Amino acid sequence: MAFPHRPDAPELPDFSMLKRLARDQLIYLHLLEQLPGKKDLFIEADLMSPLDRIANVSILKQHEVDKLYKVENKPAVSSSEQLCFLVRPRIKNMRYVASLVNADKLAGRTRKYKVIFSPQKFHACEMVLEEEGVYGDVSCDEWAFSLLPLDVDLLSMELPEFFRDYFLEGDQRWINTVAQALHLLSTLYGPFPNCYGIGRCTKMSYELWRKLEEEEDGETKGRRPEIGHVFLLDRDVDFVTALCSQVVYEGLVDDTFRVKCGSVDFGPEVTSSDRSLKVLLNAEDKVFNEIRNEHFSNVFGFLSQKARNLQAQYDRRRGMDIKQMKNFVSQELKGLKQEHRLLSVHIGACESIMKKKTKQDFQELIKTEHALLEGFNIRESTSYIEEHIDRQVSPIESLRLMCLLSITENGLIPKDYRSLKTQYLQSYGPEHLLTFSNLRRAGLLTEQAPGDTLTAVESKVSKLVTDKAAGKITDAFSSLAKRSNFRAISKKLNLIPRVDGEYDLKVPRDMAYVFSGAYVPLSCRLIEQVLERRSWQGLDEVVRLLNCNELAFTDVTKEDKASSESLRLIMVVFLGGCTFSEISALRFLGREKGYRFIFLTTAVTNSARLMEAMSEVKA
Amino acid sequence: MDCYTANWNPLGDSAFYRKYELYSMDWDLKEELRDCLVAAAPYGGPIALLRNPWRKEKAASVRPVLEIYSASGLPLASLLWKSGPVVSLGWSAEEELLCVQEDGVVLVYGLHGDFRRHFSMGNEVLQNRVLDARIFHTEFGSGVAILTGAHRFTLSANVGDLKLRRMPEVPGLQSAPSCWTTLCQDRVAHILLAVGPDLYLLDHATCSAVTPPGLAPGVSSFLQMAVSFTYRHLALFTDTGYIWMGTASLKEKLCEFNCNIRAPPKQMVWCSRPRSKERAVVVAWERRLMVVGDAPESIQFVLDEDSYLVPELDGVRIFSRSTHEFLHEVPVASEEIFKIASMAPGALLLEAQKEYEKESQKADEYLREIQELGQLTQAVQQCIEAAGHEHRPDMQKSLLRAASFGKCFLDRFPPDSFVRMCQDLRVLNAIRDYHIGIPLTYSQYKQLTIQVLLDRLVLRRLYPLAIQICEYLRLPEVQGVSRILAHWACYKVQQKDVSDEDVARAINQKLGDTPGVSYSDIAARAYGCGRTELAIKLLEYEPRSGEQVPLLLKMKRSKLALSKAIESGDTDLVFTVLLHLKNELNRGDFFMTLRNQPMALSLYRQFCKHQELETLKDLYNQDDNHQELGSFHIRASYAAEERIEGRVAALQSAADAFYKAKNEFAAKATEDQMRLLRLQRRLEDELGGHFVDLSLHDTVTTLVLGGHSKRAEQLARDFRIPDKRLWWLKLTALADLEDWEELEKFSKSKKSPIGYLPFVEICMKQHNKYEAKKYASRVGPEQKVKALLLVGDVAQAADVAIEHRNEAELTLVLSHCTGATDAATADKIQRARAQAQKK
Repeated sequence: MAFPHRPDAPELPDFSMLKRLARDQLIYLHLLEQLPGKKDLFIEADLMSPLDRIANVSILKQHEVDKLYKVENKPAVSSSEQLCFLVRPRIKNMRYVASLVNADKLAGRTRKYKVIFSPQKFHACEMVLEEEGVYGDVSCDEWAFSLLPLDVDLLSMELPEFFRDYFLEGDQRWINTVAQALHLLSTLYGPFPNCYGIGRCTKMSYELWRKLEEEEDGETKGRRPEIGHVFLLDRDVDFVTALCSQVVYEGLVDDTFRVKCGSVDFGPEVTSSDRSLKVLLNAEDKVFNEIRNEHFSNVFGFLSQKARNLQAQYDRRRGMDIKQMKNFVSQELKGLKQEHRLLSVHIGACESIMKKKTKQDFQELIKTEHALLEGFNIRESTSYIEEHIDRQVSPIESLRLMCLLSITENGLIPKDYRSLKTQYLQSYGPEHLLTFSNLRRAGLLTEQAPGDTLTAVESKVSKLVTDKAAGKITDAFSSLAKRSNFRAISKKLNLIPRVDGEYDLKVPRDMAYVFSGAYVPLSCRLIEQVLERRSWQGLDEVVRLLNCNELAFTDVTKEDKASSESLRLIMVVFLGGCTFSEISALRFLGREKGYRFIFLTTAVTNSARLMEAMSEVKA
Repeated sequence: MDCYTANWNPLGDSAFYRKYELYSMDWDLKEELRDCLVAAAPYGGPIALLRNPWRKEKAASVRPVLEIYSASGLPLASLLWKSGPVVSLGWSAEEELLCVQEDGVVLVYGLHGDFRRHFSMGNEVLQNRVLDARIFHTEFGSGVAILTGAHRFTLSANVGDLKLRRMPEVPGLQSAPSCWTTLCQDRVAHILLAVGPDLYLLDHATCSAVTPPGLAPGVSSFLQMAVSFTYRHLALFTDTGYIWMGTASLKEKLCEFNCNIRAPPKQMVWCSRPRSKERAVVVAWERRLMVVGDAPESIQFVLDEDSYLVPELDGVRIFSRSTHEFLHEVPVASEEIFKIASMAPGALLLEAQKEYEKESQKADEYLREIQELGQLTQAVQQCIEAAGHEHRPDMQKSLLRAASFGKCFLDRFPPDSFVRMCQDLRVLNAIRDYHIGIPLTYSQYKQLTIQVLLDRLVLRRLYPLAIQICEYLRLPEVQGVSRILAHWACYKVQQKDVSDEDVARAINQKLGDTPGVSYSDIAARAYGCGRTELAIKLLEYEPRSGEQVPLLLKMKRSKLALSKAIESGDTDLVFTVLLHLKNELNRGDFFMTLRNQPMALSLYRQFCKHQELETLKDLYNQDDNHQELGSFHIRASYAAEERIEGRVAALQSAADAFYKAKNEFAAKATEDQMRLLRLQRRLEDELGGHFVDLSLHDTVTTLVLGGHSKRAEQLARDFRIPDKRLWWLKLTALADLEDWEELEKFSKSKKSPIGYLPFVEICMKQHNKYEAKKYASRVGPEQKVKALLLVGDVAQAADVAIEHRNEAELTLVLSHCTGATDAATADKIQRARAQAQKK
């Protein structure tokens, strides 16, 4: 179990430096130096967990933060003379600050206000402050905190809105943030000698990043690269993987309990007590570290084995003399107890998952998903989805299955497109008309084009889209260009493994194990193929099918400076989010090939989060 | 070397003063200096002369002429003075010429006679005219002090940031003070003035009488006062020919001297060296120059010509029509080495080196002598230091040679001081050259710093020399070469006679991609000179598109700015341009511009969505984007509107838009929603409870749960709810109600379109095994096993499975066989399996 790394696998760089950097910047640049004295801190809800990972409450209190408030839509009762707001650059937040300041003005109160934007300030925000007439009363600052190390190999920008902003609204504001983050990494960990990427957003980010590097030339020059390769890809290159139900333990925990910023709240049903428990899920949790990448079917067996081992270790003390006992108590007992505690948590979580997943006919669901991926029994799957909608099982799940059907089938046939949508609106409410409009725009749920008549236009359009003069094309056109071609890609890249007999999930053969052996994640396969070739050469057809003509690039420098060790360290950058299944799959690939992967993502995501980002809900 | 100290003049026991020639002046002055207003900038700066300043006639031929020369007398500029009468001239720290007019207006000129700007010293000055004015330098910059006709003072401590200060009145002052000066203490400028035998100190608010300590009696008037370069010392010259020297704070007397000359001196300036204990002032009369200090005797020089004194950091420059000289205290290192019969280590080393060159063994003797005393390091240092203070290159060389020679006998002498001195001297000799004419001493050069020196070279448009110096000193490009090239380019764009093309090309050829050069700055300069086209051409060379944007906006090339901003990838920049465009263009044009820039459009849409909803609607309208317009109305129907009628109206607009967008599905769905909304409202009125905003499914469910089956059926028919959904719906609702009787009736109403397994499932979910069993029997054969297992009838399930001969079903049943009770069943299955296999 828990496959060990190959002995020659390279060491991971130390990312804790990023945390220290962010903390010092916040404390010394923004809180202490600029705003001495007691102050109340208003934090945006989305920033609370990341902040907690950087600087906990006691650190903040040490620096004269008096009270902490959440930024929410109601007036705050703070008596402090200095108010500090730590927010994402959103217009909504600016209105909140403005209303607070204006209320004070009405009451004839003067206080000091300071807004700290993270990760950066947007001009639009200042505009709003100006329009609301409080620009002069508020001082603004930036906290360039864009990289949170969630684990030894996982960096998150904690920007879940990136997905909707870019892939739905076409808003490119975060691209600069991405470029800045990459630039920071290259200043800290040396230049990246080999870069590969695919996708429009990837390309823009990459170009911007390069520009930043050129402007500050000389600093990184001559440094030895620590990380040999970087691979960037857009989420819309592979929606399929993100839409599948996860069956690897870590992914399953995320799907079931929602991992938030690297930790999870296990409710009473897991802890089997009346309190819920917040657990950090990372490599430091020894038990979790061994099961996180395992297919769920193995986890239970592993845990019970572990429990027996633990018992045996406890039992050892029976035959001990006093001295040995003393040793045992002082050295081993604490570790054992800790392990014991973790073990019981994860066993609890497993039980809870099993209960939930059998209830919802999880097997049926998985079967349908696999059928969709493999492209057989489409009618049956469609009726399954219809029934799913009719029974109001879950709005998000229904939507997810519809999208999966659409992408794997290159769009729904018109009849199904209409009827499924009608059923959905009847079940879950008419406002989802907007959801469907969103999904269509993002290319997640589309109608099949009748015949091949459109392909000529499409290829023309897609050429135009990739052109620099993309300006002339309206949204409607560009969504046309997003034909997913999943079936063809799947065949080209051999994403559906041929199964001779049972797929042994205990001893995985390939990355397909993360989906019970039914499907190799497209994103991971692309990465594998490109790394093997050290370029996109020979993948032209796949790139074309992905609608990424001219959006796939290779930038390889001569490798005289990179050590062979660094060349086996690969950073994968997911723009728009990555799933734990993808992480597990690549970790598996790394172990097979002697690589180590580092993951950088705008946020950890899963199918539910993607669907929620696209959904319109009543405010 | 016997004659080397010939021009050394001792003052007292401990100090020597020497005077040497810097240049013989190249200018060809017709007038005497005394007929001109003269101003010379410190640090070897330029000299300005205003000829005929006092002629009032308007005739052009006798108009005053303003001339600017380098310190070596090379003409830099000459212009006819066409403004008002000038009272005083002075140079600012940035080497700008300040000309104070009688009416209090100060005109500022560049080094090349180019007019820069002007400012006024205030109304009071305008009314009372300027009697006298001084330009002075403080750590904040250059200041102007003015004495008006009303005997009041006005000053500004920094002409760059003009803040006028009117000094308090001196009580009972009837006539102009006999002499005055500005002092600078504790970062505040004061004025010290002398009226008859009294001295007054003016500061911000007060006027106080002061008395210098130890002043000789019998003084009835002060004729001249001088404050030192660093504002630390003050000298007073009285009508008795007595000179008092003390601190500028007037708290301490340093020394005094009586020269017995009662004629007022033309000029009096301090002549001292930083960190030297010696204090001396130089006093000049028409034909006589006197250096006096703390010694009973003074040094006297005869002036052949009308001369002008320029105080410097470490000495005094004296120029006349024919020569330019420097008078200073001989520095310690030079004194030690060159003093007659000196046995200082440096002196011995110099001797040793000379003997060595003569190939004489005496070299060894001298060297030994130094080494025995262990003073070789000191000797080398002395020679290096003394070299710095020599003006003549041959002397510099022989001293450096001596240092280099001495260094050979030292193990660990850090080479950098020697190397740096060689470099510095090379730079100094280059700029002291007659053609350049900046006679800086080593101390002045160090005080000024290389950066400022480079700036001054740039100011004199000596770009090639500046670049050579940078390259020679290996200064980082950003501070050195690129900066100078950028200045050069800024100068180049002002050459109006060269075509835009040529200028742009020339600049690009020279600058290329030199790091640190900002093409946008140069373009800004070009635009400042009114050359917009050239500016745009230059901007093309700017690699960072973000840098191009602000200037393009300024030049009103907003659309170009927009595409550059988009190219830069900086959304903030795009947004800035957008707001600019929004104000500049009318709405229609603005929208049209957006239409061609999808990135900008989506950015602006995002902003509008939160801040300007109406604009968003206009945007969609303009684009004929009916689909989005429809979505917009839909959103409004549940976000903006409260009343049902308002919501229905919004939906109607949405439906209309969807029809226009040829999206019939959405239009129909919207119309259905309108119908549903009205109906829900009616239901609420008639039945009470909450219906509005429920989905169709939930509406029907609510009706069923409320026992309004008829209504529910009607609604299902009206909205064409498919049978399957209706069955699921009723099944769930009735089970929730636990109305088993009704459920059974319903199940028998017709053949179930969803089969009977869901019935079993739902009963079991409510833990009603009894009811579940009823339906299990009606479940179709494919799902029978599943149903039987659900109700827990393992045995029968096994029978059915065996009958079906279905391996999967058998496995399923087997997995449900638990414990002893099912042992028999398990056996049965195993047997059936075995039998099947046999066949």
